[in-house]
Amino acid sequence: MINELKLSELKRHAMTGVSYMLPLVVASGLLIAIGNILGNNPALISDYKSSYSLWQASVTLGVYGMQLIPAIMSAAISYSIADRPGIAPGLLMGMIANAIGAGFFGGMLGGYLSGWCVNLLKNFVKVPVWAQALLPMLILPLLSSLIIGFIMFFIVGRPIAAVSFELTTMLQNMQGGSAALFGAIMGAMAAFDFGGPVNKVASLFADGLLLQGVYGPEAIKICASMIPPFGITLSWLIRKKRYSKGEANNIKIAFPLGICMITEGVIPIAAIDPLRVIFSCSVGAAVGGALIMLFGVESPVPSGGMFIVPAMNKPVDFLIALAAGTVIAAVLLTLLKKDADENKLLEEEEKEIDLSDIKIN
Amino acid sequence: MKGVKKMNIVGIAACTSGIAHTYIAKEKLIKAGVALGHNISIETQGTIGIEDKLTKEKIAAADVVIIAADIKVNGMDRFINKKIVEVPTSIVIKSPKGLINKIQTELGLT
Repeated sequence: MINELKLSELKRHAMTGVSYMLPLVVASGLLIAIGNILGNNPALISDYKSSYSLWQASVTLGVYGMQLIPAIMSAAISYSIADRPGIAPGLLMGMIANAIGAGFFGGMLGGYLSGWCVNLLKNFVKVPVWAQALLPMLILPLLSSLIIGFIMFFIVGRPIAAVSFELTTMLQNMQGGSAALFGAIMGAMAAFDFGGPVNKVASLFADGLLLQGVYGPEAIKICASMIPPFGITLSWLIRKKRYSKGEANNIKIAFPLGICMITEGVIPIAAIDPLRVIFSCSVGAAVGGALIMLFGVESPVPSGGMFIVPAMNKPVDFLIALAAGTVIAAVLLTLLKKDADENKLLEEEEKEIDLSDIKIN
Repeated sequence: MKGVKKMNIVGIAACTSGIAHTYIAKEKLIKAGVALGHNISIETQGTIGIEDKLTKEKIAAADVVIIAADIKVNGMDRFINKKIVEVPTSIVIKSPKGLINKIQTELGLT
């Protein structure tokens, strides 16, 4: 078992970035989707001196938001590493990443580099007492922006931009078997640990691609996040004996959460019977993900569950993939699970975890 | 768990999306803490912002600060000179009582 206590520092910084980025992505994605649907794909505003429509304004605002994503990702990572002095250089590195086409992944790298740079400078730059105030105000932001900015412009920016471009082209041109396989892997990963670390890796990847204009993985993520709660609910409806009263109560909470694309509601049910539940849900989500890729469903919005299905390019196909995955997960659960034993199961079950590495500071 | 000393525990819960794990972690910690007979207050730092903010009095009285977070939490400067335990949210969701008992043993407050 992976030592869960050591959620690495690297990952904590990335997760901080994601947590700051999510509301911006959701707002921007929905602004674009709403403007496109209601305004029939209007052009972006190019000249603010002439008149423009409400829907043009909505789409344009969304696009501004999307362009800010590398910057907020970078700034939040840098802030997570170096606290407040990290924000200014982090924002700038994100702007560079966006400008040179290194996008989301470039923004992540810029965030790490500027955060570490600020921390190094904090330790190594010593100033006389009279200049103390200049350190956070002038020296740290200027030096870190200068150093990492040049690194981004001249060294790491181009290769990342090239890789981003290659990845984008590859995913856009993927068809048939390889597309289905990609979809299956993404789907299984997104459902595997119900919103945990593996899900977050898949999610981060999908969010990064969203910024490169590849919308398929987001649709997989949305589909795969809803299949576990829907599958468990359906299997409970098929055969109620498989679940205890406590589990049934949890299912009644997990289902509405699932509609909002929150998978976590199924954790209490998965915790009681992890192997069967994880296996069934992952298989269901893999099928859903493969179908999404085969149908070519795309979602310009990364989060929002059933409420953003109308914003997708092929809502009906999405629902078919979702239904197929749900049915498969439900059938597997019903077949594999044993009848619940009311006496044996305690609601508040504690897991045995190796806590020996916990340090108190 | 008879004859065990009562601890004053404060803590912060924060997860990546800030809508689910944060609050599950809080519930688990509070349930476990109360069941083991401790005083416990948990602040949440979700996407909505800070809720149930820890009071100065509670922090001052605390024997230990539990940070259950997958991301950087705000306001760590409030806990200077406090015993701090940092864990990912998954730990307190899976084993809240185990964690609290472990802390109590480590601190020698049994």
